[in-house]
Amino acid sequence: MPGKRIGTFVQCALLVLAVPAAGRAQTASCNDRETMTELVEQIKQLQQQDHDLLERIKILEAKQPSAGSGTEAASALSTTAPQPAEQIPSQAAPPPSAALRDWHDVHGLQWRGFGEVDYQVLNQRKPELGSGGFVPGSAGNFYTGDFGLFLTSRLTPKARVLSEIIFEEGDAQSYSVDLRRMLLKYDYNDHLKFSFGRYQTNIGYYNWAFRSAAWLQTTADRPLVMQYASEGGLLPTQAIGVSVAGAIPARRLGLHYIAEYGSSDSIRPDINGDGLVNDENNSNQVNIGLFVRPDSAPGLQMGASYYHDKISNFIQGPSLRYGQTIVNSYVVYVQHGIEFLNEGFLIRDAALHFSDVVFNTPAFYSQLSKQIGDIRPFFRYQYVNASSNNSIYNDVGLRLGPSFGARYDLNGYIAFTAQLDHTVRRGEPDLNGLQLQWAFTF
Amino acid sequence: MGVKSMATLLLLGLTMLCFAPRASGQNNDLAVVVNSGNPVTNVSLGDLRRIFAGTKHSWPGGKAIKLVTRGPGCTERIVLLKLLSMSEIEYKEYWTAQIFRGEADAEPFTVPSVGMQKEALNLFPGAISLVKTMDVKPGMKVLKVDGLLPGDAGYPLR
Repeated sequence: MPGKRIGTFVQCALLVLAVPAAGRAQTASCNDRETMTELVEQIKQLQQQDHDLLERIKILEAKQPSAGSGTEAASALSTTAPQPAEQIPSQAAPPPSAALRDWHDVHGLQWRGFGEVDYQVLNQRKPELGSGGFVPGSAGNFYTGDFGLFLTSRLTPKARVLSEIIFEEGDAQSYSVDLRRMLLKYDYNDHLKFSFGRYQTNIGYYNWAFRSAAWLQTTADRPLVMQYASEGGLLPTQAIGVSVAGAIPARRLGLHYIAEYGSSDSIRPDINGDGLVNDENNSNQVNIGLFVRPDSAPGLQMGASYYHDKISNFIQGPSLRYGQTIVNSYVVYVQHGIEFLNEGFLIRDAALHFSDVVFNTPAFYSQLSKQIGDIRPFFRYQYVNASSNNSIYNDVGLRLGPSFGARYDLNGYIAFTAQLDHTVRRGEPDLNGLQLQWAFTF
Repeated sequence: MGVKSMATLLLLGLTMLCFAPRASGQNNDLAVVVNSGNPVTNVSLGDLRRIFAGTKHSWPGGKAIKLVTRGPGCTERIVLLKLLSMSEIEYKEYWTAQIFRGEADAEPFTVPSVGMQKEALNLFPGAISLVKTMDVKPGMKVLKVDGLLPGDAGYPLR
């Protein structure tokens, strides 16, 4: 009897479980059939599209036999002999996917372009920061800053050429051409990568991360200490020589190294608008650095570098040499739309042989921004303190102050930035400025 | 029908019900797939992040890594962005920056279908991609991530 009861109970339980499922099955069976038919149709359509795309790739490959890295895969996907275009029915040639159409690849030559259009206004007419096309002494004017063309081409699976050509606005809307980077790169593996040619010195993070494209930056301009030497910046930003970089096996630490040896010849205009230009007549420079990107903190990067060179002073003459040492350390966090950059520098200029004078120039900047939709508000504080007796950086002196503003990304190619600056200067009135910038890439 | 067999049936039914959510969870997982000739069997989450961020360029042995991705809006792309903690626009800007820094030749190769993903994986010995578990096809080699396969508890790509 109990067995029979249990049996009945079990039967009821199964019925309870089965009835809804059966009900669902019955009510859904018609819908399911329709859905199945639709899905089969869709699968057929997708298979047809897939087939059409492959046919299209064959045609493209036939038209463009020497595709480069970007279209390399698209071309390589075609495994059979290409067919003439006439043999492909019109409906079998849909517009190729945007992914297959890499406009930045022209016969294996990858190209990119960057540009900017700026308007800057200062609250005083005293000559100041006369670089990048801004006219010193004007209350406000338009300028175009740097217009860059970036070209790369892969020569072998491990070797490629990279070049960055900059059209830089100078005085009276004249333009000069600067081959800012020209490198023959050879990547043996992730641990050993060589670059030969003209490179940007890897002093600090900013130079590596943003190079010379305004579009890549959050702010409208670079921090003064990271400004290019040709635009009044304090650091030697370019050199010709060899650079070796790579990852050091260190499990989850993400340790990397960089070592550079090259000849630089920095020529920097005074930023106080006095019209003087310093030619540093640099010797060969050496720069070594380490940085970590720990797995445990994605987005965090910490690093330090040591740079040494010998330079001369324009006013004192080329025979009087200084040993220049630049120590840098940084902590940056770029993740989840947050950008938090912090870099510190100590530039040490020690007279060689003719005197025992030593000048220490500390500098730092801190920048914080957060992406909120298409807008990225930012705040930056920077500080540079050069001794007034330091004839190399006497035009700089003490400068400190905040900048704040916002960048608005119209799309993935155009950005508009508005920035307000307040600069405190030693022995000079405070300087306020407004910068408006359209930056773009193409 | 005996009581025992009924009880067994009930047990079976309940067991199937218990496994149903697990099967569904497995379907949500994304597999890391590579060319079948790739000797690698396991990849750490950190390395996977480095690979898809384009900062790790070669497999052990020196073979160049070739990234094969799906387009915006696909589940594979959404999980990829989650892995890199980026939005779509940040992802695009990131790759533009990587190219300009000289760290990459071009943006990752984007394909519009699983079929083309499979073909790309077959053609490039160093290719790597993310696919839904249900879309894993013969010829795709599935890598473990931190020792876990899709469907395992704690699998990070879903």
